[in-house]
Amino acid sequence: MTFPDVLKGKVLVIGFIYTNCPDICPMTTHNMYLTDQKLKKEGINGVNFILLTFDSERDFPSVLKKFAEIRDIKFDNWSLLWNTKQKTDPLLRRLDILAIPTDSSYIDDGELNYFVMHTDRISLIDQRGHLRKNYKGSTVNLDKLYNDIKTLGKY
Amino acid sequence: MITLFAFLILFYSQGNILQVKNQWVRPGAKGMATALYFEVENPTDKPDTLYKITSDISSMIQLHETYTKDELMGMRKVGKFVIKPKTSLELKPGGYHIMVMKLKSDIKKGDEIEFKLHFRNAGSIIIRAKVK
Repeated sequence: MTFPDVLKGKVLVIGFIYTNCPDICPMTTHNMYLTDQKLKKEGINGVNFILLTFDSERDFPSVLKKFAEIRDIKFDNWSLLWNTKQKTDPLLRRLDILAIPTDSSYIDDGELNYFVMHTDRISLIDQRGHLRKNYKGSTVNLDKLYNDIKTLGKY
Repeated sequence: MITLFAFLILFYSQGNILQVKNQWVRPGAKGMATALYFEVENPTDKPDTLYKITSDISSMIQLHETYTKDELMGMRKVGKFVIKPKTSLELKPGGYHIMVMKLKSDIKKGDEIEFKLHFRNAGSIIIRAKVK
């Protein structure tokens, strides 16, 4: 899996999520959203925010679009990425992201009610595509993330 | 004298009933899941148990907790929440929460959603949670 060309040469903030997660992944997403808002308030617009789903079998692009829109995420500098499990898994392994299905069960209407135990992570990637730092996504210190982005981007 | 007595009973009972406060819910799109958070204060001398939550927004609402195992974050269903006498129980991000699944419509920032909380002793308490 490779990132789209449009993201090359930019500072990237990547969060790893699945959309059926009601607690941790929305916290991670919200922390990224707050960081983006703060950067924009300072006139810094060159940072790209990415949410990469590790639930390739359900989080199709249409689902990711709804997940973003309901949270007022603007697509000018945000990308929500999906790919097949076959292509996503090697990238997740390289980034040391684990996602393990747990406690899944079928509900009355026959649909699968599923949960995933996963790494809670936001990663900071530099302009050359190198991983520079990892943070605990749901509880990241926002000032620290903000300052690291500014340092990396020389903003 | 009767008025004073009635006032005292009213005053006493108001300070001694289970209360739900600081409720809020995350935004969520139709068909997807979200989480509800609040605080339950139990000033009474008896424990109480929250065992069910219902709402028109979803027919599938569960009591949940987020947990950490081997540096991974997970989530699991909890049968009930017990609020001990003279204590509070806080449902908050990263901990206990109410998982609201398969939303029947979009819920957006600024909306208010009604939930009915079912307690063993206090009965049903209706709350309106702001989406934020």
